[in-house]
Amino acid sequence: MSLTQALSSALSGLQVNQAGIALVAANVANADTPGYTRKVMDQVATGTSTSIGVRVSDIQREIDLYIQRQLRIENAGASYADTRARMYSQLQEIYGQPGSDTSLEAVYNGFTTALQVLSTSPDDPGARTGVINSAQLLAQQLNQLSSSIQSQRANAELAISDAVNKANEAMKQIASLNQQIAASTPGDAATAALLDNRDAYIDQLSQLMDINVISSDRNQVTIFTNSGTQLVGSQAAQLSFDAVGTMTPQSQWNADPALRGVGTITLIPPAGTPVDLIQNRAIRSGTIAAYLQMRDQDLVQAQTQIDALAAAMAQALSNKAVTSTPVNPAPQAGFDIDTAGLLAGNTITINYTDTATNTPHTITLVRVDDPGALPLPDTATATANDIVFGIDFSGGMASVITQINAALAGTGMTASNPGGTTLEILDDGAANTVNVDGVSGVATETSLSGGISQFPLFTDGTAPYTGAITATGSQLTGLAARIAVNPLVAADPSNLIVYQPGTPAGDSTRPDFIYQQLTAAAQTFSPTSGIGTVTAPFIGSIPTYLRQFISQQGEAASSANNLKQGQDVVLNSLQQRFNRASGVNVDEEMANLLTLQNSYAANARVLSAVKDMLDTLVQM
Amino acid sequence: MSISSIGAQSQLIMKQLVQMRAQFDDLQRQLGSGRKSATYAGLGIDRGVTVSLNSQLSAIKSYDDTIQNVMARINLMNTALGNMIDISSQVKAAMVQANGVSNGSGAEVAQQTGLNSLDQLLALLNARAGDRYLFSGRATDTPPVETLDHILNGNGSRAGLKQLISERNQADLGADGRGRLTIGSGGPNIVQIDEQATTFGFKLGSITTNVTGATTLGPTGSPASLSIDFSAAVLNPGQTVTVRLNLPDGTTENLTLTATADSSPGANEFTIGATPGQTASNFQTALTTSIERLGASALTAASAVAASNEFFNADAGNPPQRVGGAPPFFAATNLVAGTTANTVIWYTGESGSDPARSTAMARIDQSLSVSYGARANEEAIRNLVQNVATLAAVTISPTNPNGVALSSELDQRIAVNIGNTGLQTISDIETDLASAQTSLQAAKGRHQQAYATLSDFLQQIDGVSNEDVGAQLLTLQTRMQASLQITSMLYQTSLVNYI
Repeated sequence: MSLTQALSSALSGLQVNQAGIALVAANVANADTPGYTRKVMDQVATGTSTSIGVRVSDIQREIDLYIQRQLRIENAGASYADTRARMYSQLQEIYGQPGSDTSLEAVYNGFTTALQVLSTSPDDPGARTGVINSAQLLAQQLNQLSSSIQSQRANAELAISDAVNKANEAMKQIASLNQQIAASTPGDAATAALLDNRDAYIDQLSQLMDINVISSDRNQVTIFTNSGTQLVGSQAAQLSFDAVGTMTPQSQWNADPALRGVGTITLIPPAGTPVDLIQNRAIRSGTIAAYLQMRDQDLVQAQTQIDALAAAMAQALSNKAVTSTPVNPAPQAGFDIDTAGLLAGNTITINYTDTATNTPHTITLVRVDDPGALPLPDTATATANDIVFGIDFSGGMASVITQINAALAGTGMTASNPGGTTLEILDDGAANTVNVDGVSGVATETSLSGGISQFPLFTDGTAPYTGAITATGSQLTGLAARIAVNPLVAADPSNLIVYQPGTPAGDSTRPDFIYQQLTAAAQTFSPTSGIGTVTAPFIGSIPTYLRQFISQQGEAASSANNLKQGQDVVLNSLQQRFNRASGVNVDEEMANLLTLQNSYAANARVLSAVKDMLDTLVQM
Repeated sequence: MSISSIGAQSQLIMKQLVQMRAQFDDLQRQLGSGRKSATYAGLGIDRGVTVSLNSQLSAIKSYDDTIQNVMARINLMNTALGNMIDISSQVKAAMVQANGVSNGSGAEVAQQTGLNSLDQLLALLNARAGDRYLFSGRATDTPPVETLDHILNGNGSRAGLKQLISERNQADLGADGRGRLTIGSGGPNIVQIDEQATTFGFKLGSITTNVTGATTLGPTGSPASLSIDFSAAVLNPGQTVTVRLNLPDGTTENLTLTATADSSPGANEFTIGATPGQTASNFQTALTTSIERLGASALTAASAVAASNEFFNADAGNPPQRVGGAPPFFAATNLVAGTTANTVIWYTGESGSDPARSTAMARIDQSLSVSYGARANEEAIRNLVQNVATLAAVTISPTNPNGVALSSELDQRIAVNIGNTGLQTISDIETDLASAQTSLQAAKGRHQQAYATLSDFLQQIDGVSNEDVGAQLLTLQTRMQASLQITSMLYQTSLVNYI
């Protein structure tokens, strides 16, 4: 009977409208729920031989997959930029407010001012103490800077640890959701909720690191790192991070676990061998990459810069030239130089000309006391274009000569020991393929009153700073953390004046020297600090170097911040576009509600009409 | 800022509102602190310049402090030097005055003047700027000169000027007071004068005569001797024999004896004898008396000047030359170097071979230094102290028959010697200092100008203009109000409110 058919059609209409209203209610309720995507209902007509009705075919998520993919990439980039900007802004804080009394430059200027006062009144005990105090302040400032930088690195280490835990949690959830989704019916509301949930975890993971999400059948996703290592499939891999408790300037990342002083991220797949993600450079973006970049590059560079400053301050005052004397045992010619005063890290420079091509060359011999440090790279000295040889002095002069001759092999020059600790470098005489242009040395003065202006005002703890290189690293590393005013000078400030027994109190020779060295004398700075390059290292006075690296740090912080702002704009606009597609628009829902209400009323009206007709039929 | 709709975007709206708030706070900070940024990052491209500018400003400030300090020192030195010049002219004037006085009180007055002046001079040389001695060369923590008492009277076992003068006096005069000359007969009718083999006493210069027939010989030999032979002489009263004597201080005395017929000759006269032998004998007696008188006056004065020269022309590295041998020194033959243990060294500051001015250098600019050091033993100052001290050290007894002559000889020498170094005068030192002062003034002017320029530059980079920030604050305020209002309107204009 067709009336019954109408009844059942109207009934199905009522049911579908009710489901629709329920969906509107759910959408409105979740309008502000993060990760919630707007759900829409698909309905289809049902027809049997006896009636035509309507039913809900499935519940769909409104989502633009392309934008979602873009969003995830930008998510990683934005959190990378955000984290770096935040850490850089913390790093900026430690250099102090520009021009304020506590800024590094102001403390340095305070020191040179005190030196100028001392130079004018060398006899004044107040001026002497003034220099010691301001020098100590400067040393402490550097110690403080170093410890701030290291504590930032330690913070980064902890943050990586947290991020790794968060990533592990997200990967575990994604894997578990993958399994649940596989088991659930596609197209129903529960599945849609699970998908939302999984997307939220993937978004979380994409903030931590750059990932590649591949969708496959049955709503499954597989997640890879950008270098192709699988993180999540039906099972989640595990990331492990062995954070270190204490961070020092010597703590550096190294592929060799024995030399590694900081934590590394290892991926432990459900099956297979663990992979070091840092070594593979698998993480290139996201929070984790930002922290790694800060911990292993940017903050290390900031440390190297203040280490170089500390070293320059120490060496400017303690490095003395060792002169050579020309010798001429015809037909050969060359130079004699005394190696007695050389300490580990001190150098002898041989300048020679290859007469065939008329090209000048430089060889730098560096005294080394730990054979484990050999061979030295050419970058061991800041000097440009020199070839560096580490010479182990622990075996006596005969061994030194053998090593130097090995270093000079092929140049035509020969080394010999005419007696004592003298080193003689000669050209090849009659063959005349090479000319020795000069031999000079640089040694560290360790005496406070050796008759010359040079003296160790700044020391590495209590030991002199010579720049020694050992198997475990260079004395330069972390010098800023250890630099101190020589305790002997601090205890007796007259050492600032007395450069030899009997120096009169008003003799300004040494104060003038200190002032000159610390304000104007040019030094060569190693390019490892990010200023200058290997072929053209930065050569300038200490204040200019200070200016350079403060400027460089400011620039880096500023560009990190600019990058963050740029990323924010990109992310915001993507987020808006994503929200426009997937977000709940309450107005739209209300409009739907009106439609559904009308439709419900119409169906109900049909029901009521059918009832009236049936009543009429019964009363006949 | 774009607000498309309400819903999931509300957090974006919030974020933007928060950003505006932060901007607002930063502008407020700028207004309060007057600084554009709290970090180098916020200073923009010129951040490196601010570091350089701060360093330059700090250097200029310290140069200025130095200039002020050094100015004060140079002013003090100039005052002291000016006073020294005054003392120098006072003493000179006093010497000229005393010269005319023919009794012992003149000597006393002169000596008193010497003592007072020396006292003042030493006080001036010990002048300090703060704790810094200005005339000690590099030894600015040590007083440059000994005390008056030590200089004159010695210090314990260390001899002072008076002792040196006395020793030298003994050595120069000899036991017989004849200035280490032996006067005797060189043969019949011959009077001969022999020097002794010593560096002390009179040295024979020449002998000349206008006596007809008298022959003079010498000086010849070493030690030198000279003689006059009266054998063929035909003497007339008024004829003279002149012996020229060199004194230890480099002066010379002409001792002229005049022949007289009078049997009781006056001073510097000899009686013409009946025979050449008598004449020679008379001449020898008169010569001896005259030399003794000259010894007690001119030689004593010259000896004191020489001793004083040795005493003052010395420092700790080169102690004064003293008379060799043991007291009494009548037979002393040579000078030997004293030691710091047995002789007071008047100058206790630093002495070196370099110019005194270079003992204090002040850097007043990146590449400019001025030298303004001084040593109390510089030629000009030493000369003044030495002469004044000689005057103070020579005691002339009122009962000394040769007192007036000695005083006169001494005064003459001092009047001549003060300021007569031939090398340097105190005014020369003043001139050096004045040129340093000129450099200081010029540098100060340059610094003021540079400081102003650099500060301005720094202000442009680092500073903020209140008007600018104020205007920005107002604009931002308006924008924030508008945003908030529109946001609130958007929230209200939802369909929810209309169905």
